Amino acid sequence: MSLLKSVKQNLRVIFMAFEIEFRQSFTDAFVLFGIIVQPMIVAFMALWMLRDQVADYAIFVVVGSGMTGLWTTLLFQGGNSITGERWTGTLEPLSCAPAPLRAVVSGKLLASISQSLLSIAFCYTFISLMMGLPVSIAKPWLFAGSILLTVVAFIAFGLIIGSLFILNPDVQRFQNGLEFVVYIFSGFLFPIALLPMWTTPLSYILTPYWAARALHAASSGSGSNGEIYFCWAMLIAFSVVYAIASKFLFKSILRKAREDATLNMQ
Amino acid sequence: MSAIEVSNLQRDFQTTIGVFKRKKKTVKAVQGISFEIADGELFGLLGPNGAGKTTSVKMLTTLLIPTGGTARILGLDIIKDAEQVRPRIGFIFGGERGLYWRLNATDNLRYFASLYYIDPAVSKKRIPYLLEMVGLKDRADEKVEGYSRGMRQRLHIARALLHDPEVLFLDEPTMGLDPVGARELRQTVRNLQSEKKTILLTTHYMFEADALCQRVAVINKGEIVAMDTPTKIKDTVNDLSVVEIEVFGIPPETFEKIKTLPVVESASVEDRDQRQLLLVHTSKSAEAIPLLIAELQGLKMGKVTAREPTLEDAYVRLVGGE
Repeated sequence: MSLLKSVKQNLRVIFMAFEIEFRQSFTDAFVLFGIIVQPMIVAFMALWMLRDQVADYAIFVVVGSGMTGLWTTLLFQGGNSITGERWTGTLEPLSCAPAPLRAVVSGKLLASISQSLLSIAFCYTFISLMMGLPVSIAKPWLFAGSILLTVVAFIAFGLIIGSLFILNPDVQRFQNGLEFVVYIFSGFLFPIALLPMWTTPLSYILTPYWAARALHAASSGSGSNGEIYFCWAMLIAFSVVYAIASKFLFKSILRKAREDATLNMQ
Repeated sequence: MSAIEVSNLQRDFQTTIGVFKRKKKTVKAVQGISFEIADGELFGLLGPNGAGKTTSVKMLTTLLIPTGGTARILGLDIIKDAEQVRPRIGFIFGGERGLYWRLNATDNLRYFASLYYIDPAVSKKRIPYLLEMVGLKDRADEKVEGYSRGMRQRLHIARALLHDPEVLFLDEPTMGLDPVGARELRQTVRNLQSEKKTILLTTHYMFEADALCQRVAVINKGEIVAMDTPTKIKDTVNDLSVVEIEVFGIPPETFEKIKTLPVVESASVEDRDQRQLLLVHTSKSAEAIPLLIAELQGLKMGKVTAREPTLEDAYVRLVGGE
């Protein structure tokens, strides 16, 4: 099979998995609450509390809370979707199909991230217009580029997390712990300079850290273009590393799951 | 070349016992089974629950890695060549799981078609064809959650046939279906066989194996205890008669005593609403009937009949009266 044909077929799998995940989510009242009602409440409270603050502080909080929402969605919706496939008995046919499971998981992650991003954008725009409090973005084009790379980086990071969920359903127990570790070490809500020095290398290897830095800098205008480009380079580099690592992780973890009989849950 | 070659296939599962002093325990689910299935053959794997049927199928469909032995599908090794095996096989597991309930039948099939790299132009024609074949064409746009068990099972078959596989694994496909649904599904299996597909069917319904399979293997406690045509397996119990006695409320101790009678080879009890059916395998039915009636003295009894053995009786003898 030619490389081009293989890429085309796998892209079709990613978009099909995206479509299926998206459509399934929109028939789930719990998910709809999570992506429309809850962010609306959070956006209203955040902007109401910040109505007297300077505008760049408001955008810092909007981006920070958006990143936390994005990560939570990725971790829970992305991770739980693997567990869900196991419970519904579909993980076996997915693992046994010729298409790589990584392509399926990528499509599912893309759906979760897109939902989260759309929900954040819609909710904050709607509430800020309603309250007459404009949330301005200092460098819109660099912000848009940062968003695009953030989506790619989060998918790459999600593939690493997703592979662990394939390994064993018990990984779900560590979800809450993972949620706050990434909030803190990625500087979503406060700069990592406030953390002890020895934690800095850990932040540097997390793509959400570079994503948060690029988005904060582009939205508030607090960082130079050079700094944003540097963050982009790091996002691309780490995304490539994560994507390559996930290929090997998926292969070995799927083999382990076939050895341990954990693809299904009877 | 055989379509499926299985040689000394084994699978162990590790489990733990106890809470504080945990001990590892190894369960031998499949203990060195060997068989070959010819191209285009419909082969049955029969056995009671927990005999190792599903584990065997899961190994052959590359979902489980064996702990020993080898197996080849269409000449390809199930471990080393798993990626080449997958596009050439289809499988369904009994039950209702394995589908997306919040999607309709067409979307379920569209999704799986993409996973099998089927060109959208091809799947556009193949999906309606398969839905018609399994009798779901008129309900194709309804969500799967509203389907009956039989409809879901038929959708499983359509899913397994999407990529037109050469070898099919059907693991208890009629499990839990009503008689009409089960009959329709058996007809679908017959149609598939007429298309020269190699089929491995597992079931614990003996009449199903008798009606469909060219050859059967009986598996019990992870080992194959017999393998032949259904007719030849039935011949192994030609020396037996089956005495059936309808009885109301047979006490366990009476049943245990009946099992120890010298003329009784094996015995079982089946619940039939308010009554039970006592089934006794014996080579001396004329002698056995009065002895059995004497043991059941005092209990309300219905019909007493003696009949020729079936494949099910051969199976009961092979698996030790379970």
